[in-house]
Amino acid sequence: MRERVGVYVCHCGGNISDYVDVKKVVEAVKDLPNVAVARDFIFMCSDAGQDLIKEDIKNLNLDGVVVASCSPHLHEKTFRDAAALAGLNPYLVEHVCIREHCSWVHSDDPEAATQKAIWIVKSAIAKVSLADELQPIRLEMKPEAIVVGGGIAGMRCAIDLAKAGIKVHLIEKKPFLGGRAAQIFKLYPSGKTGSDLVKELVDELKRYPNIHVYTNAEIVEASGALGDFKVKIVVKPRYVKEGVSKEEIRRAVECCPVEVLDEFNYGLTNRKAIYVRESSYPEEAVIDMDHCIKCNECGIADFEQKEETYELRGSMIILATGAKPYEPKEGEFSYGIYDHVITLPVFDRLLAVCDGKLEYEGKEIKDIAFIYCVGSRTEEHEYCSRYCCVATLNAALGALEKFGKLRVYHIYRDIRAYGKYETYYEKVGEEGMLFIKYDPEDPPVVERKGDKLIVKVRDLLTGGEELEVPVDLVVLSVGMVVEEAEIFNMLRVPFSRDGFLQEVHPKLKPVETAIGGVLIAGTCQFPKDTVETTASASAAVGRAETYLVKGYAELEPFIAEVDPEKCDGCSVCVEECPAGAIRIENGKAVINEALCKGCGACGALCPTEAINLKGYKYEQFRAMIDILKEA
Amino acid sequence: MDIKPEYDVLIIGGGYAGMEASLTIADAGFEVLLVEKEPSIGGHLIQISKVFPTTDCAGCITTPKMAAVPKHPKIKLLTYTEVKNVEKIGKKFRVKLVKKPRYVIEEECIGCGRCEEVCPVLVPKEFEYGLIGRKAAYIPFEMASPKKALIDLDNCIMCGRCERACPKDAINFLDEPKEIDVTVGAIVVATGYNLFSPELKKEYGYTGNLTRIHDNENPNIIHAFQFERLLAPSCPYHTVCLRPGDGKIPERIAFVLCTGSRDKSLGNPICSRVCCMYSIKQALLYTSAIPYGEATIYYMDIRAFGKGFEEFYNMVKELGVRFVKGKVAKIETNENGNPVVVAENFETGEIEREEYDMVILSVGLLPNGSKEIAKILGVETDPYGWIAQPDVNGNPAKTSVEGIFVAGTATGPMDLPDSIALADAAVSQCIAYLKEVKD
Amino acid sequence: MKSGDEIIMTHKILIFAADMAYRALDQAGLLHAHYSPNTVIFRIPCATLIRPDLIVYALKNGFDAVFVASSGPDCPFLGEKCVSIVSKRIEKAYELLDKEGIERERLVVSGVCSTCVETLVNTLERIENFLQSRG
Repeated sequence: MRERVGVYVCHCGGNISDYVDVKKVVEAVKDLPNVAVARDFIFMCSDAGQDLIKEDIKNLNLDGVVVASCSPHLHEKTFRDAAALAGLNPYLVEHVCIREHCSWVHSDDPEAATQKAIWIVKSAIAKVSLADELQPIRLEMKPEAIVVGGGIAGMRCAIDLAKAGIKVHLIEKKPFLGGRAAQIFKLYPSGKTGSDLVKELVDELKRYPNIHVYTNAEIVEASGALGDFKVKIVVKPRYVKEGVSKEEIRRAVECCPVEVLDEFNYGLTNRKAIYVRESSYPEEAVIDMDHCIKCNECGIADFEQKEETYELRGSMIILATGAKPYEPKEGEFSYGIYDHVITLPVFDRLLAVCDGKLEYEGKEIKDIAFIYCVGSRTEEHEYCSRYCCVATLNAALGALEKFGKLRVYHIYRDIRAYGKYETYYEKVGEEGMLFIKYDPEDPPVVERKGDKLIVKVRDLLTGGEELEVPVDLVVLSVGMVVEEAEIFNMLRVPFSRDGFLQEVHPKLKPVETAIGGVLIAGTCQFPKDTVETTASASAAVGRAETYLVKGYAELEPFIAEVDPEKCDGCSVCVEECPAGAIRIENGKAVINEALCKGCGACGALCPTEAINLKGYKYEQFRAMIDILKEA
Repeated sequence: MDIKPEYDVLIIGGGYAGMEASLTIADAGFEVLLVEKEPSIGGHLIQISKVFPTTDCAGCITTPKMAAVPKHPKIKLLTYTEVKNVEKIGKKFRVKLVKKPRYVIEEECIGCGRCEEVCPVLVPKEFEYGLIGRKAAYIPFEMASPKKALIDLDNCIMCGRCERACPKDAINFLDEPKEIDVTVGAIVVATGYNLFSPELKKEYGYTGNLTRIHDNENPNIIHAFQFERLLAPSCPYHTVCLRPGDGKIPERIAFVLCTGSRDKSLGNPICSRVCCMYSIKQALLYTSAIPYGEATIYYMDIRAFGKGFEEFYNMVKELGVRFVKGKVAKIETNENGNPVVVAENFETGEIEREEYDMVILSVGLLPNGSKEIAKILGVETDPYGWIAQPDVNGNPAKTSVEGIFVAGTATGPMDLPDSIALADAAVSQCIAYLKEVKD
Repeated sequence: MKSGDEIIMTHKILIFAADMAYRALDQAGLLHAHYSPNTVIFRIPCATLIRPDLIVYALKNGFDAVFVASSGPDCPFLGEKCVSIVSKRIEKAYELLDKEGIERERLVVSGVCSTCVETLVNTLERIENFLQSRG
């Protein structure tokens, strides 16, 4: 029983104290029998706040601490570390939340919020009174990581990890690395092509033998935890003999009689059934078995190749699974009805493949209307997709540069050419392209008149004037939606409301997910442009390196423990444990600490209450209930 | 001072990006020297009340880092210190630092503030953007880290009262700049941003005079970082949101976006990325503090592009904040001292005049001495004076010099999540560089 | 009211919040959602930990209702397995409640994922309505 508990109630600079009467909370608990001191302070998490706790621990000889402030997800560690520095076992600190769980949700009723805060603080005092000293579990971290997704984010991750001496398994489901960035006609702000960027990353990646690349790979199983993840993959065969020269591949592609639409160019061009991707990786061919007629004209086919299964292990996993362009619905701005309504990624490829003049579906394009915010800022997808404004302006400039005089209309809501990208907006204006601001309540309508498409739109910049804009091509500036991946469910990574993967906290833990050891990089988190994508990839590596380079992690000690005095060896816990971590030895239950997940399921039905989860003992819960009984 | 002759990494700038980079790289096991030119770390973020789009308090994000940095066993923090010279020798860097005199013995000072109490000199307080004063002997702000006093000798009258009041005899008027030489394996530039000076936009009538109304001086025209202080829980007048002119609670306020951004005439053609969102956030904080208050935002485009931003913008719009797409031509002053916004409403084409109790200029961000530090480091800058990123698409943390990396807003305006991402990106590039050099 | 006095509230709901549900409560705070303040939150890693007799103990010792907010199939410890184990716990608790003559409505269980703010708010409203109907 702890007899000298210190209680600290944070104002959070008004976030709490505007609604919760913190003085009253202090008053309500300061005379409890095992409370040695109770104080309030403007920012408990600040240096001064932490010093307050540390001084009290030393001067008043505290044996327990309760901090009532924001969510423990934000600052539990801060206070535990502070206590440890003052010589108190960090697990004798109970951090409870009176901000997210109280002041912010009961701002409409300050009296009730204050009462609830008192309840929360009292229960924490009861809990800490029965708390035990615990020691964190030290976990060795092998310098080995798994990166899922071989786009620019995944490649950046792999390179940065490898440079730090970490072994990397890079998994890509497509036959080649590069992802969607490879398809970008012209990147902003560097002006390179997407495939230039991919080529540079590939060249760098090839220098590191500790990067193991698996393309054409499907993840079939993923399990484990920080320090020891297992990912099982099935690698589909390329059906091409190994060790053939570049020249042989070139000839083979030439000889292949089967032509199919090239998905890389959204069907604007054809490829063969056997093909390679210039400036990507691996520099090997692959045979598309959906279309191959097995004629073996290419001479390098090997139809006997079998799927191979690999079991990869890594101390951490970085998810870099990316996003995909929003696919407009049939009829959305007449998409799918008229051939000449296309999306921005298709337009990008059109710019890349056209030579001399801009032509689409047999028609020369002289005027273009870009419609912005398609699939973004709508009821279905409330979020802004961030990259599309600048990408569209940049594509329009690219079109002008490559094909000369074009008449271009930008039909937009807000031009979000943020930061230095403002110059693209300016340039587009200087080039004489026209801007029309539309009202999302009354969106533009695309119709056909003769061989032209007519965009009917009310222009908010001219007081709502009805305009009819005749063009050859309508380009829908589509947003991004998350690319679904099986591994999300296997690892149980949580999503945000926008459907993308959720970080723990946008500022404090921006690349971490709720699943320890699983980090996120690139556009699976949120729409990003290429700069932001590679930055976030490097950032995820930076955070991962705090474990992988250091070589160990320290984990919370909350695992099951058995009181052998009480245990009668009935083995109910053995049945209840979902992790198979308990066995009976000499008539008593024994916990395998490495396997224990810390769920606590083992204790729920124990007839003698001999088994408890450390940090969450049943007697603590009863004490928490008891202390509130009179209230 | 217990400074080692060699560190793995030198981090220049102790704002949020610099602290983030220092802590991450130190957590990975490397020795870090963090240098901050101001007397406290914390940067701009510590002056901000709440962050968008979650409106959780900025202090809760900043203060734990400010507490963790000086405590970290792998970090050596030097405040009030500037980088004077850097020379690359082989793969390493020879660095000359100058620790400016505080005129207070740092090791002795206990931050009790007695010197501040007795000092008779009052000058505008930087931390509050001049909304209130500070003494010549002062602690920069409540949450300063380290919480140590210093003496502003330019304004000191040498009365000696602080010297007599100090319980630790820590005042030392004979303090002198100290040169420090160290060798480091890699460098991260995290020098951050500065605010655009709204005085330069003459038509908007901001003079920085917060006390009197002269013909052309209206204290009810303030800039957004001042307004941020007025909205902060630790606000300078101890009552949230009083206007500086006369202490009245402003019932109608207006924000003028793009002040000093997207403005070629002022030499800053680029967008500052954060002003739309911080203004929307401030409008929300204002209407929460003053429920009968009305807020209007004059904008060109609302750039709510980050995670959760659009949702936040929609929420604030629904709460009744008025958005006017228009260009503010000038701000005049009425006879009653109220500012009058004269703007062209793009949607009606009309010139509209509207009176407000207070106008907030949403000022943009400019480089914070990155040209000077770039010269010392030998790295290139972009046309606007920010640190250049030669491989911006593929490796944005790289600068033009191998072994020197860049974090946060030293590369240009950006919001906190982007700044943090670039800080951690700089960490992984540093580690890669250090490891490769070693092998 | 004298300082230190407690405000009298009509009833009290105990929320056992498993990891994801605890995050949903955080999320509710970030969104400034509103729900009944007659609530006390006990943080638990996973709802499978709850002893059925602990629920009865709470209901007999001052709490008017218990809300077991599990992580549902998103449980970071057990995943989908969590759901069936928790429902087994609740079945057992119902049996105990029947024996004690406590209404089953006083025990509510729901899977709450980290973004399920609506589930959280609606469930609490339901419990609140029930308790108010009982006076």
